[in-house]
Amino acid sequence: MSAAETRDLELRDVRRSFGATQALRGVSLAVRQGEVYGLVGPDGAGKTTAMRILSGLLRPHEGSATVLGVDPAHPRGEARERLGLVPQRNTLYGDLSVDENLHFFASLFGLSRPDFEARRERLLHITRLGRFTERRADALSGGMYKKLALACALLHRPRVLLLDEPTNGVDPVSRRELWELLYGLVHEGMTLLVSTPYMDEAARCHRVGLLYEGQLIAEGEPRALARAHGVSPSDFESVFLAIIARRDGRAA
Amino acid sequence: MHPLLVQYRAVVVKEVRQTVRDRRVMALLTLAPLMQLFVLGFAVNFDVRRVPTAVVDRSRSVESREHARTLLAGDTLRLIAEPHDERSAATLLEDGETSVALVFPPSFEKDLLRGDGAWVQALVDGSDPVRSSVAVDAVARHAAARASTLGMEQARRLGREPPRSTVTLESRVLYNPALETAVYVVPGIAAMLLLIVTTLIMSMGLARERETGTLEQLQVTPLRSSVLMLGKVTPFLLVGLLDVGLALCVGAWVFGVPLRGSLLLVALATLLYLMSTLGTGLLIATASRTQQQAFVGGFLFMLPAVLLSGVMTSLRAIPDWLVWLTWLNPVRHYVEVLRGVLLKGAGLSDLWPQFLLLSGFGVLMLGIATRRFHKTAA
Repeated sequence: MSAAETRDLELRDVRRSFGATQALRGVSLAVRQGEVYGLVGPDGAGKTTAMRILSGLLRPHEGSATVLGVDPAHPRGEARERLGLVPQRNTLYGDLSVDENLHFFASLFGLSRPDFEARRERLLHITRLGRFTERRADALSGGMYKKLALACALLHRPRVLLLDEPTNGVDPVSRRELWELLYGLVHEGMTLLVSTPYMDEAARCHRVGLLYEGQLIAEGEPRALARAHGVSPSDFESVFLAIIARRDGRAA
Repeated sequence: MHPLLVQYRAVVVKEVRQTVRDRRVMALLTLAPLMQLFVLGFAVNFDVRRVPTAVVDRSRSVESREHARTLLAGDTLRLIAEPHDERSAATLLEDGETSVALVFPPSFEKDLLRGDGAWVQALVDGSDPVRSSVAVDAVARHAAARASTLGMEQARRLGREPPRSTVTLESRVLYNPALETAVYVVPGIAAMLLLIVTTLIMSMGLARERETGTLEQLQVTPLRSSVLMLGKVTPFLLVGLLDVGLALCVGAWVFGVPLRGSLLLVALATLLYLMSTLGTGLLIATASRTQQQAFVGGFLFMLPAVLLSGVMTSLRAIPDWLVWLTWLNPVRHYVEVLRGVLLKGAGLSDLWPQFLLLSGFGVLMLGIATRRFHKTAA
């Protein structure tokens, strides 16, 4: 990455522990503007911790994190105004309807009434939730819920979007729709950091970072990584397993 | 509209929607306090009446029978048995069938007529101190009154001038002339219920947001902690005011609790008090990861707060060092305001220290909770 390129997201030698467990052990990564960066790794690799640090919900014990050049944990920093987060858990208000959730989060971001109406129309259209505006969020299917979470995160037109395992528990059709939606956002200039345990989704990203036991053990374009390990880019799972095997062998 | 006001309104509307849609919470906020006020208003009664009494009359004389008859004619003691000896009376006391046993010795009448001074023994079950002390007091007062009557009769018989009493007591009970327990207790129960409902609802509500993850979603928005806190507190301030209004109605119509002072003053005190209880609820929530922890934390606070408030027992009965501690208890000050305004018609000039303390606690608790919430967020 050249120095001239804008780094929208950056972790620098970040370490974070929970008691005796080291979730992140010196992770450094940078995501460029307009890029889809996939953070790939098995459960417990530290993906969610990295996401939470970049969204300002956690502070690193060592190292630093920046979003658009500022500390994301700063309570009144501009990061919150320009960052969207779709968490892994269902964190919308289940007892509020689709419309009520949208209106609530729009108010928190200070959207004016006409601006909200325009955004609402657009987001309901692209997420295909228009027919379900009166439905309670906890009565939506897994895929529709994720789309609503995405819509809520996009209301304020963030420049950077963090998606923590957005397709977890989502059916294949909805997964494909969600990815099409994400590509549309990138086309509009948004920067995306997506964490996923699914290797086939890694191949959809511009670049991927392989997180394993709290360390970034490989990083690069999916095709280049596959080529380097002599496997087909469509079989990204083999790439991941080969890298882990090599690392574990070296460690042994 | 200012962006902070837009955020505040959004949080208030969200809280109201969620509260109204949750029937259990609505019942907890409105019906439960009213029902409890109704039941507790009748159940909590400090009046000691009709204490079961046994009489062992070994004198079997006119004087002993007259003494017992006049003593039992009052409402305090009620004759339930006449055992032959002290041992049988002791058994009745031990079994809990009677709380007082009066023993007249065989020489009761003889001693009385001789003017040597007769004695009556009262055996009292002291396991209920309030009841036993009232019973002992009734027996002692009756003995003194009877002695006075007998002294006058004796003087008259002997043709002497009856001794004049030098002190005449003329008692007049103010504020609660009928000495009804409910009139004194109902305002305290209202304060207690308000404390329980608002502290628990607030602490568990915020803990639920943390547990379900919605709090995290809020933390990645520009919403300020102080606006979130105020927005969460506002609907419950209004519900609390409504609860107090209903409690005053039930108190007046069912228990005859008067309203001699200003209703506005009660409303103001309630608002300040609710700021303390809701602030405490929020503070408990900041230290809880789950709703269960918030529930336990709430009870750990509420139990001493109620016991050291003067709701159930008089603060004059507790040690001095503990009385100092009660100054830090908003429940105490709110109960004092309620009783003062309702029963005595007291105004702000009488109750300004309580108002000052309630304001201080309210601002302090909400301030600490907001600060702690801010710190524990990341």
